[in-house]
Amino acid sequence: MFGYVGKILRVNLTDKTIKVEPLDEKEAKLYLGARGLGTKMFMNEVDPKVEPLSSENKIIFLTGPLTGTLATSAGRYEVVCKAPLTGTIGASNSGGHFGPELKFAGYDGIIFEGKSEEPVYLYIKDDKVELRDASKFWGKTVYETTDEILKETDENARVACIGPAGEKLVLYAGVMNDKHRAAGRSGLGAVMGFKKLKAVVVKGSGSVEVAEPDKFIEACIKARETLKAHPVTGAGLAAYGTQILVNILNQTGALPTRNWKDGGLFDHAEDISGEALTEKYLVKNKGCFGCNIGCGRITRIPDGKFKSFGEGPEYEAGWSLGADCGVKDLDAVCKANFICNEYGFDPITLGSTIACALELYSKGIITKEDTGMELKFGDPEVVVELAMKTALREGFGNEIAEGSYRLASKYGHPELSMSVKKQEMPAYDGRAIQGIGLEYATSNRGGCHVRGYMISPEVLGLPQKLDPLVTTDKPQWLKIFQDLTATVDSSGICLFTTFAIGLPEISAMIRTGLGWDCSDEEILRIGERVWNLEKIFNLEAGFTKEDDKLPKRLTSEPLPEGPAKGKVSRVPEMLIEYYKIRGWDENGVPTKEKLEELSIE
Amino acid sequence: MEVKFFAYIREYTNCKETKIAYEETVEKLLLKLSDIYGNQFRSKIFSGNELSKEIIVLVNGRHIVHLDGIKTKLENDDVVSIFPVVAGG
Amino acid sequence: MGKILIISPEKCTDCRTCVMACSFSKTKSFNPQNAAVTVYNYEEAALSVPIMCMQCEDPSCMKVCAVNAISKSEDGTVLVDPKKCIGCKLCISACPFGNMSFNVKKKTMVKCDLCNGDPMCAKLCPSGAIQFKEPTSAELSKKRKVADKFKELFEEVNK
Repeated sequence: MFGYVGKILRVNLTDKTIKVEPLDEKEAKLYLGARGLGTKMFMNEVDPKVEPLSSENKIIFLTGPLTGTLATSAGRYEVVCKAPLTGTIGASNSGGHFGPELKFAGYDGIIFEGKSEEPVYLYIKDDKVELRDASKFWGKTVYETTDEILKETDENARVACIGPAGEKLVLYAGVMNDKHRAAGRSGLGAVMGFKKLKAVVVKGSGSVEVAEPDKFIEACIKARETLKAHPVTGAGLAAYGTQILVNILNQTGALPTRNWKDGGLFDHAEDISGEALTEKYLVKNKGCFGCNIGCGRITRIPDGKFKSFGEGPEYEAGWSLGADCGVKDLDAVCKANFICNEYGFDPITLGSTIACALELYSKGIITKEDTGMELKFGDPEVVVELAMKTALREGFGNEIAEGSYRLASKYGHPELSMSVKKQEMPAYDGRAIQGIGLEYATSNRGGCHVRGYMISPEVLGLPQKLDPLVTTDKPQWLKIFQDLTATVDSSGICLFTTFAIGLPEISAMIRTGLGWDCSDEEILRIGERVWNLEKIFNLEAGFTKEDDKLPKRLTSEPLPEGPAKGKVSRVPEMLIEYYKIRGWDENGVPTKEKLEELSIE
Repeated sequence: MEVKFFAYIREYTNCKETKIAYEETVEKLLLKLSDIYGNQFRSKIFSGNELSKEIIVLVNGRHIVHLDGIKTKLENDDVVSIFPVVAGG
Repeated sequence: MGKILIISPEKCTDCRTCVMACSFSKTKSFNPQNAAVTVYNYEEAALSVPIMCMQCEDPSCMKVCAVNAISKSEDGTVLVDPKKCIGCKLCISACPFGNMSFNVKKKTMVKCDLCNGDPMCAKLCPSGAIQFKEPTSAELSKKRKVADKFKELFEEVNK
């Protein structure tokens, strides 16, 4: 096989058995790899009604066929399971170097099933694969675990692990790899924690082969040159990181502030902007495997009460811990983000849940009796303190650890959770930007921006500028973005490459790398197939059209000020058109014809 | 009128924002700014006589592509923001 | 003076593209074991250093080779003749920087050969951390200083 290495590890954590199985080539042709194939493999074996935190849930790590090659930014892999936070199919994509190392070791992926009674970790060194005792690492942070496990195994190995948050089943705990990279959203780390799987360590000495090496490298080099020449991928992201979006979103009147109740303008946006981060705390940029974009941030707060060192924050994390909580102290935002990386949980959900708690407190719905501390918007110490408490489920942090929907519902006000399907929407106000609102409502894993990144055309003008305030054509555009993203997420390359390259370049790398004879359209159809498959899972898990809905605040509270003043989200009208374009019925169920067209049984 | 600069545009202006005397259109404003900040600024903003594809201009938060492009008429109390194309996710 | 590989570690983003490029250039496949480039990452210092054969003026590897398989070409590249090489691996011990390795499957030495004058690592390095060019005298003396530092470091490590 080319691209793929052809083997899957099946690890049963209950009876501690390890098997090697062949990769299913027929399914690989339909679902490509990573997100797509991982989801198919998961659905082959797990009942969509399964309890996420149970031994019947499985967790799959799967690379893409391009992972580990010189395709553009080809370091990615996916973690797939049923998500604890949302109950939807949970799939999260991560970079770094772990994915490629798994390929070099000779495996496309790993299926974990069952549950161990004691903490274990999996150590893979080419064909030597064993489950080892992880008790001495249980309770340790992501950084500590990584450093110490490498000493016990191989200094040059790569580690994916959970931190204390995953161990304590924080509902949005993530899987961290290479210390600072994350398969971050929806709580996949809690599934590992439940199964007492502390880490996966891998060292490989094998090769990834491609079908037509000379043509492949030519396609890769050409795509890399395109990335280098583009202002975003060639300069902007390396210099400023994703945090650069703060100011432009604020100027557009679309930066959600104080749990989305204060419209799309934050008076202190400049203080927590990418420009400020670069100026004050950036040490240097960093790149994942084979990446010529280099958007990673190495950040250091040199002094003061939030003195710390780590990576990030990314835009959505900086937003949720910053503007969403009304906080303007960049050092506190960075510190809270580092805590999330170190303890292994999602900063987007954390910040948004804290913001929800702040609003509940400001309205007197919860009081100091419930929280044990004063809560108010704009207080940096509250954010940092709650981050720590949540990581360890201490005090009020135990409630924050459940996410904003369960928190707000407990106190009788679920409408104050800015979430869809229980996952918090990130940093772009759907009232000011209609298309991203539709993405939040329809995304298969709840409030998620990245899988249908309409910000690209609606705010940045890439590939062309759409008017964020109108609904015209948004459903069509969204479908294309969602389908292409699903293809990219299934190939092993990083989504950020698509700021500069598109389907033609990606298809060229897939064809010459894998030795496939197929058109660009067929490759895009893989993405559509994956999207429909995920939808089927959610329907069978019990989700309905009623769940494709934004919080009431977005459809009934007009923005009070700014360029989008007076606007609300018009998702309900766009939804009907979206279902039609997707080939689904009026309840959002894929029709028989659509499923046949996509070869989904 | 208020003009705000973001990201690496600030390297050419050495400031985050400025107040400037009224100009009739966005084009005239950008030409005036180029006179003030020099050729490096001009070469980033303009591509020949057109606005560079690497630049985003907002008037009161609205992208000029949805108004009248660089011919967009301005009012005295307008806020103009100038960005290079940025990214995130 | 001809072109040499100039390393600027402060620009390195730790992406390992150089390692993959080298592996591909030698074997048309992707395998870090087949690369003659290694990247050392120093997390506390936020520093990454790609390192490959220094094409020494006075190569230790050449000195110890029992079968004269190692020679220095006209343009300064230190080359291993695979036909003469017997795989004794003395050169691996001799190199003070650890830039020699042995490919067990192919039974050949793995060493930077500058890709016949168009080194792929430099071609693909996204940040200019590896460049192939004629050095300025400042760059040459910096390279020498770095080499000396590494020599010290490795001698410490080997003690």
